Amino acid sequence: MNKDEIAIYPGCSLETSSSHYLQSIKTVFGVLQIPFREIADWNCCGATSVKSVDQHLNLMLSHKNLALAEKQGIRELVVPCASCYFRLVGAEYELNNDEKLLEKLNNESDLPYKGQVKVRNILDFFVNVVGLDHISKYVKNPLNGLKVACYYGCLNTRVPIEKAFDTREYPMSMDEIVKALGGEVVDWSYKTDCCGASLFVTVNTIAEKLVGKVLKDAGLRGVDCVAVSCPMCQTNLDTKQDSIRKKYPVEYPLPVAFITQLMGVAFGCSPADLGFKKNFVPLGSIYKTRSLKNS
Amino acid sequence: METPELEKTKKELYSETSLCYQCGKCSAGCPVVEEMDVYPHIVIHLTSLGMEEKVFKTETPWICASCYACAVKCPNDIEIPNIMTRLKQMALERGLKPKRNDIYKFHKTFTDDILRRGKVHEFRIMIEYNLRLGKPFKNAMLGPKMLMKNKLHFTPPKAVKGFRNWIKQISPKD
Repeated sequence: MNKDEIAIYPGCSLETSSSHYLQSIKTVFGVLQIPFREIADWNCCGATSVKSVDQHLNLMLSHKNLALAEKQGIRELVVPCASCYFRLVGAEYELNNDEKLLEKLNNESDLPYKGQVKVRNILDFFVNVVGLDHISKYVKNPLNGLKVACYYGCLNTRVPIEKAFDTREYPMSMDEIVKALGGEVVDWSYKTDCCGASLFVTVNTIAEKLVGKVLKDAGLRGVDCVAVSCPMCQTNLDTKQDSIRKKYPVEYPLPVAFITQLMGVAFGCSPADLGFKKNFVPLGSIYKTRSLKNS
Repeated sequence: METPELEKTKKELYSETSLCYQCGKCSAGCPVVEEMDVYPHIVIHLTSLGMEEKVFKTETPWICASCYACAVKCPNDIEIPNIMTRLKQMALERGLKPKRNDIYKFHKTFTDDILRRGKVHEFRIMIEYNLRLGKPFKNAMLGPKMLMKNKLHFTPPKAVKGFRNWIKQISPKD
């Protein structure tokens, strides 16, 4: 893999509400000696909102991002946010398989797209491009039995089947990363269940119920933390645990860490470099778990 | 009077939904089904029969969180959330008032915000959504918490270079 052809598409939330995700990605890339490059002049992917209002704009937003990446010599576009990934990989698939559609969109914009960009989920990137062997080489403080529930949410794996990098209903790629870091993963039932996404803002009673189910199951398995790779999942699971625990039988406050934050912990990076301050349920507690203390 | 575009959408909808044999897996696996007034598999059935008018009177397409749990389970590979999306679009194109206006308004606020700069300004969306909804204190407990953690920013992101020109370029010309 030519390192010059790899770039990150951060997406809007990684610049504000989930900047701790971007910060931990940068830190982890530094350790792994992967040059950190962002696609320039990217725009919002449209999330699940634009498609509900304007389907043409929805596709055009992704078309523009892909065309920009191509023009900038990017061939591997690594996407951390599950929602951005879902949009971009969906557009990649649609445009590569529908010549007429591609031609129509190319005619509308002065940025034509030729179909040379591969959109990659960040989990796919870590497991299949960077490699688990490479990752484990940099582990300084193994997670020594830290019990982790890997939560993928919906959109990481529910892409068109031809584009899937993992099993759609019971994925394992994040679990493999945690194992490479020395952590212990659990089998659980809510790996790919929905966190409610934007219902968190619109009808939060629904979202709280969904989050309650996820946290309850993780708690019952006695995990030390939940690992995620999606900013929306992280926000929904982390932000309102106080009120959710009053309504649903969630055992105890559960830290919700980005997978890159856990990688950073294992690589011996400082909490400040991993943006721990932005987590609502303090992540520091994962250092205090018995297993890590004894190491 | 229906546009050729709408005619095409309708035909595609009928042919895709006609693959459904009503196994009900989509409804059984839907995480938000309890909140819907009509089951997803019934929406698919009505659509395949050309009775989308009935669907427009339901909340189901608006409640759908677009998580694709149903699509993964569907034995006939029907992308049900995509059908829900098209049904919402059709209703809007016909000028019907969305059955869940509160949810529609969020998506509209979000989309309008993207059109300003090419990126979303989360803080503004939260405020503007509440105003459009006429519920200024919705999620009010969350705002200060998010601001304290520096998770919401007062100032908008920098506009994407050339975005507004691009928008003009791609907008349909009448």
